[in-house]
Amino acid sequence: MLYLLVIGPILAGILSIIFIKNDTRLFIILSQVLLFILSIAVFLEVRTRGIIYSYMSNLPDSIAITLMADNISSMFILLTSTIFLMMVIYSYKKDFFTSQFGFLLLVLQGLVSALFLSTDLFNLFIMLEVSTVTVSILIMINKEKQAIYDGMIYFFVNVIGTSFLLFGIGMIYRTTGLLDMRAVQEVLPQLDSPAAVYLPFALMMTTLSLKTAVVPLFSWLPKAHGTPSAPPVVSALLSGLFIKTGVYMFIRFTAMFGPVINIREVFLVIGVITSVFGFVMALGQNDIKMILAYSTVSQIGLIMIGLNMGSDIAFWGSLFHVFSHAIFKSTLFLAAGQVYEQYGTRDIRFIRGLFKTMPLTAIAILLGILGVTGAPLFNGSISKYMISYGSYRPTIQFALNLINLGTITYFLKFGTILLGKDSRTEEAKKVKPDLISEILVFVMGIFIFLTGIFGQFTIDVLFDFQVEIFSGEYFEKGLVYVLMIIAGLGFYNGVIKKGGFLDRVSHIEMTFNAIITSMTGFFIFITAYLYFFV
Amino acid sequence: MKPLNLITGETVGILLFFIGLYGLMTKKTIVKTIMSMSIMQAGIYLFYITINYSPDTVPPIGQSREAAFADPVPSALMITAIVIGIGVTAIGLTMFMHYKQQHGITHWSRNRNQQGSEH
Repeated sequence: MLYLLVIGPILAGILSIIFIKNDTRLFIILSQVLLFILSIAVFLEVRTRGIIYSYMSNLPDSIAITLMADNISSMFILLTSTIFLMMVIYSYKKDFFTSQFGFLLLVLQGLVSALFLSTDLFNLFIMLEVSTVTVSILIMINKEKQAIYDGMIYFFVNVIGTSFLLFGIGMIYRTTGLLDMRAVQEVLPQLDSPAAVYLPFALMMTTLSLKTAVVPLFSWLPKAHGTPSAPPVVSALLSGLFIKTGVYMFIRFTAMFGPVINIREVFLVIGVITSVFGFVMALGQNDIKMILAYSTVSQIGLIMIGLNMGSDIAFWGSLFHVFSHAIFKSTLFLAAGQVYEQYGTRDIRFIRGLFKTMPLTAIAILLGILGVTGAPLFNGSISKYMISYGSYRPTIQFALNLINLGTITYFLKFGTILLGKDSRTEEAKKVKPDLISEILVFVMGIFIFLTGIFGQFTIDVLFDFQVEIFSGEYFEKGLVYVLMIIAGLGFYNGVIKKGGFLDRVSHIEMTFNAIITSMTGFFIFITAYLYFFV
Repeated sequence: MKPLNLITGETVGILLFFIGLYGLMTKKTIVKTIMSMSIMQAGIYLFYITINYSPDTVPPIGQSREAAFADPVPSALMITAIVIGIGVTAIGLTMFMHYKQQHGITHWSRNRNQQGSEH
């Protein structure tokens, strides 16, 4: 059954491009619905019967190429098919939805599912490589100059990053003679000295840090996710879902090396730096897509903080944040696409009065903002609460509050598009928004609220993890949230509006060579840390 | 240890990997980036096919002589990796050619906004 999740979308894509001459859209939506049902079936089976394995050509365990669906990966599979279904429905009436585009989307879905299911290291490498190719073609699908440049940077940086992983896999194979992650995890404690896997660990972590876009390896992300001419669906997919493959692999790889290497605190610090850096960069942006892209950097940092705290509740909290971030970020990106279609600009200073022009999208944006900033009763607040519950260290608490203040401030800036007076001419206002995508964005916005208000239930269903959330402490956080908004308002009006320093900071960019150099630097840093401080 | 013993596939592979990385860090021409990438990948291939190899082994199939088998897995992996490497290089070159023919640019630029479109 698991193979169907990988091969099904790719097969459907090939069929659609070979046999259907004119319009493949209905066929693609139909196949998405079927895949959605299949992933629900897999999800339910994992919940009721436990982990599903499927071995290629019936070879014994740890020799065969294995697909595995457990608690975590079945959740990711469900998320994948949900998001893809939303995306194809959104783009039904858009003119970028050609048969090539549909084909690429389906192939990408198969690859992402394979990344979430496979336990074979070499298989993961192949999926990463092919998905890099697919994503870069999706980024440059409009063949616009800037898009091709951004797509090329994305492509080369990620291909080079993945070859680090391949090199690491070679070293692991040399030491253990195994390629299956679960088998490697079992034999690693038998090593004479953990130093034998320091180098492969550093190589692999370089790739994974590149894929999760932490400081200093984040600079491809805003370029790829915020490409001006890429369709909103592509940005939403990349930011909502595709970046999560990196997070997922980070979880799996740290578990694999867990018995011998544990440098959680390093990634905790990296997570804090990433998150702070992300919001500082987001504050100075004026392009709505770039604000959202840097917001992704910041939120990924938050997820990394939760994953590396070493407490159970923070771990599941950040997995829930993966889920809620996927929902609200793709809602916001799709809504941004709607806004661009209506206003013809992405500059935040020229968009006003969204509540009057497109009320449904405006409500969805409002719900998305409330979700991402962690307003009480929205899904973002629950995951952030669980993450902050994981540690009582004052420095961590301070960092989390600072990050939340930053998030609120740049989303206040983002929120200025909702109010005010639409200053466009009468002729420009005549563009009719397309109703299907309008309704879909609205439904996704409602979904943010529902997964928040039934948060406890959602977490129980998704992760099989019981947690008491709506306690007194949670509502105290709500009070803090209101204070934060007031502080954010002051901060925004007093500092951000004037520009100056932040404006200059936010336009710093790395060249291609600088990105590669920082990648090498990161690798050397991890290696040196392992050899000298562990 | 004789200096010749140091020149094995593994050490040369590691060396090639870092030579390629050096090229990627320093060269601003896009063609040279693609070439450095190929050198880096060649290093990895060389590393793989020499790991776990000892001279007195035989291929696993089609042999009458009784001897230990050589590990076929790394070579099998590398066939796949080489195919992927060819595909990746071809796609990189295609992107570059399109970019150069359309916009006449052969170098990684210093600043995105200088040559970006008016968005």
